[in-house]
Amino acid sequence: MTTLALTINGRAYGPMDVRDELTMNDFLRETLGMTGTKFGCGAAQCLSCAVIVDDPNGTSYTSPTCIVPAVGFNGKSIRTVEGHARNGELSPLQKAFVSHFAFQCGYCTAGFLNESQVLLERLARNPVPRDKLEATITEALDGHLCRCTGYIRYHEAVRDVILADPELYLAP
Amino acid sequence: MLGEKPNRSFIPLALLVFAGALVADAAAQSPSNGLRSPESFATIVDESRRSQALFTELGKVLTHPRCLNCHPVGDRPRQGEHGRLHQPPVARGPDGFGLDSLRCPICHQSANFDPGRVPGHPEWHLAPFEMGWHGKSLHDICVQIKDPARNGGRSVTDLTHHIGDDTLVGWAWAPGFGREPAPGTQKEAGALVEAWVKTGAACPD
Repeated sequence: MTTLALTINGRAYGPMDVRDELTMNDFLRETLGMTGTKFGCGAAQCLSCAVIVDDPNGTSYTSPTCIVPAVGFNGKSIRTVEGHARNGELSPLQKAFVSHFAFQCGYCTAGFLNESQVLLERLARNPVPRDKLEATITEALDGHLCRCTGYIRYHEAVRDVILADPELYLAP
Repeated sequence: MLGEKPNRSFIPLALLVFAGALVADAAAQSPSNGLRSPESFATIVDESRRSQALFTELGKVLTHPRCLNCHPVGDRPRQGEHGRLHQPPVARGPDGFGLDSLRCPICHQSANFDPGRVPGHPEWHLAPFEMGWHGKSLHDICVQIKDPARNGGRSVTDLTHHIGDDTLVGWAWAPGFGREPAPGTQKEAGALVEAWVKTGAACPD
């Protein structure tokens, strides 16, 4: 057993003792009941289980949870799909996903949403020229699998959010 | 005909010699998934040939999947016993630790995580691009490993410490659930490198 304390969507959890063998996915879904994070392939190949990790240096990145021990997140601050909406209002990305009908079954959506949010935050720090935007989005979402083949709609939804605020996300 | 009868006294002698040869050969062979010691090559009188034989023995480690998978030729690591391309489709990135969107240490923790079948080490990353071995002959690997421009700027003496002491290299002998360890031990591999260097670091033909 190892003591685990972390922050999820701005709220502190722990310290609590967890088994060293417990995956982060099981910790979120079974221990905390936060089932928005999905369990897909169990091998970090579909990334439906990805969550956002906020690095102390101000950057963010996604991490799979199905193959990573919960104790590996000790002391970290993460965001899950449950943390995107504010006061019941969906985030711009969530709204874009809905308006583009990007998801069908929705199983991959949490992973795509978190990855797209990380992309927005990265572009806000390091904007890219418009002519590199498509490749940037493609590269960012690469690795996320959608069995309903919503790739293009996810891509278009993310692009719309970026183009809606070009001063923030695009280099002149 | 008398002349066609076998020489009965010769048969046991022949069997004895044959059996003796088998025993001697077995002693010279490395044990299953093991490595021969440098001393076992002492019977090779020619030093250059002995050096070649030492490197050939070391080659069992260098060409093992535990080593090859992270010494890919290209930007994609490999995995498994058959060197299939890594899934998810990660890439080397500018520093060998992956792209910004998926860094190696995000999944590969500081130690193996067997419940997730994920290998780990605090410095988990790919060998530099110029140190790619996958698919190359042992001769080519040998020439490459001696070339400071393609071995991380190391002298052949430095290789003894890299292969014999580096803890990331050492992971190959403790790779976690479901993965075959590299042959022998890291200490034995280091001893082979040291003996190979002392005998002139000759490469196999």
